[in-house]
Amino acid sequence: MRLLLSSLFYRSPFENLQRHADKVKECAQIFREAAICHIKGSCKDFEALTDQVAKLESEADAIKRNIRNHLPKGILMPVDKFQFFQYVREQDKVLDEVEEALFWLSFRPGGIPAEVTEDFEHLVQSVIPPIEKLPELVAMATDFFKTRSDRKRNKMKSLIWDIRQHEKEADLLERQLKSDIFEKVPDALVVFHMIRLVELVGNIADHAENASDRMRGMIAR
Amino acid sequence: MDIVLLSLATLVGLYMAANIGANDLANAMGTSVGSAAITIRQAVVISIIANSLGAVLAGGYVTNTISKGMIDPSLLAGDPNRLLIGMFVALISAGICVHLATFFGLPVSTTHAIVGAVVGFGIVSVGPAAITWSKIVSIAASWVISPLAGGVIAGGMYYFSEKKILSTKDPFKASKRYAPFMIFLVFLVLILSVIFKGLKNLHIQIGFFQTILLSLPIAAAAGGLGRWWLRFQTRPGRRLRAAQSEYSLVDRLFAQLQILTACCVAFAHGANDVANAIGPLAAIFSVVKTKGVALSVEVPFWMLLVGGIAVGGGLLAFGTRVIDTIGKNITEITPVRGFCAEFGATTTILLCSRLGFPVSTTHVLVGSVVGVGVMRGMGALDLRILKNIGLSWIVTLPFTVVLSMLLYELLTWVLL
Repeated sequence: MRLLLSSLFYRSPFENLQRHADKVKECAQIFREAAICHIKGSCKDFEALTDQVAKLESEADAIKRNIRNHLPKGILMPVDKFQFFQYVREQDKVLDEVEEALFWLSFRPGGIPAEVTEDFEHLVQSVIPPIEKLPELVAMATDFFKTRSDRKRNKMKSLIWDIRQHEKEADLLERQLKSDIFEKVPDALVVFHMIRLVELVGNIADHAENASDRMRGMIAR
Repeated sequence: MDIVLLSLATLVGLYMAANIGANDLANAMGTSVGSAAITIRQAVVISIIANSLGAVLAGGYVTNTISKGMIDPSLLAGDPNRLLIGMFVALISAGICVHLATFFGLPVSTTHAIVGAVVGFGIVSVGPAAITWSKIVSIAASWVISPLAGGVIAGGMYYFSEKKILSTKDPFKASKRYAPFMIFLVFLVLILSVIFKGLKNLHIQIGFFQTILLSLPIAAAAGGLGRWWLRFQTRPGRRLRAAQSEYSLVDRLFAQLQILTACCVAFAHGANDVANAIGPLAAIFSVVKTKGVALSVEVPFWMLLVGGIAVGGGLLAFGTRVIDTIGKNITEITPVRGFCAEFGATTTILLCSRLGFPVSTTHVLVGSVVGVGVMRGMGALDLRILKNIGLSWIVTLPFTVVLSMLLYELLTWVLL
């Protein structure tokens, strides 16, 4: 026997959003492993790691579809649905960029030019922390929407600020690396490949920041 | 013969009362169990006691009991047996309707079911002209007014709680400051409804201003007592202090307030809905006893008490599993949200009941939960369910009208 009151309550989409954020974090960590392994050239595990990312991306995609397909009109949420979907989109774009960056890495199996190896590794390392903070942000949001506590809102704001700072650092590294590539790498083909690759890696942090900005909008008074 | 008739009528009345308990009361207790403010066993005990008290203290419909004001019983004065059969049929039809709805999980109003059933036999027995159609309009108005009022009051209460308690720097301190005021409000609503309805039942007449003068100090005393109790409980070393976080402290405080509102919801339910089963039963008893038709029938004290207990029994027999399901599924309800929703529902039910609107406990509660949701207080609410409610409102009346007409024709053909 069902009762009216229980059918009024809909499963909160934040549960799935949390699962999606966890997948994104997992993907980012594998990406770091794959990218660092590839830098030195002839990485044996690269393909296996790329496959792992592809598998995780497809699982995260299924979660994203589930979120979108199960939020029809008529569902009342504690946040604006448009902003919520925007957040999902940005969080998902992180994965797309990770996958794309791995593709670009695979196009030149020889590895990264020795002149920029160290800086490229720094860039890869710098884009991971903002992504690693996304699951924490979603967990805090879930908690915040239950209590509406000002203190929790402030904690979230500080986490969002952290993400922004990380992204800013990644941006600076990206800009510097681009300049170094033009300066130090003589082969035009390699320059083209590296510039595109660096942009893609930089975009990973950009989307993490965009996602956190959407979250900031959701918790705005 | 009279004994057989009265026994049968009592059985049908109790069947209707048990159905009301399984459907309406299970919903009413769901929010409290969902927020873990009370256990299922406590919900059942509270329901039986508070519901019976509500029925006895504030549920005695002295006037209009006989037909909910839908038909003029004097038109059947020449043939009391028809009224007897009619009331019997009304109880069966409404009982079947609520039973079917409970089985299929459809959101019907027990009040609307009994009103439809009375209208049905009224149309067949004395003709459509005897129906007070303006009353139908007031019912239609209540479809909109009652959930809306519940939503506005509950939403307002949540807004207040969010601004003044949850969003402050020290929510625990703020909740200690405002909780006595909330206790005051809950008691004020409760006392006003008892005075307005219960004392009238005991033939004690108190004017409006005297009522206010009487209820304000009592409610203030309750608030003061609540304040002392909160301070006592939150002293260092007390159990409440052992809570891990500030918010679990606030939740624990509100869980205690929610026990109060849970009692109030059950009380309001008793005041409002027990009469749905007991009113027609009282009419049957009156016809059998006096062999005539009275314009209004005073519902005996024992009948209200039995009705209240039967409603609680219905919850105990069929509703515990439902409450259990609700409790496990509605984890989104926190004590703060549950308190606001229940406060909105109680106030609306007692207010509408005072104004003479036939409201449905379940629908008011749904309105209150949505009200909290609109203030962004709930995780995710499926508002599409409101379409089902609208449909059930439209379907319940014709269904019980037709069923009651058919059963009335059948029984008069067999018995008269």
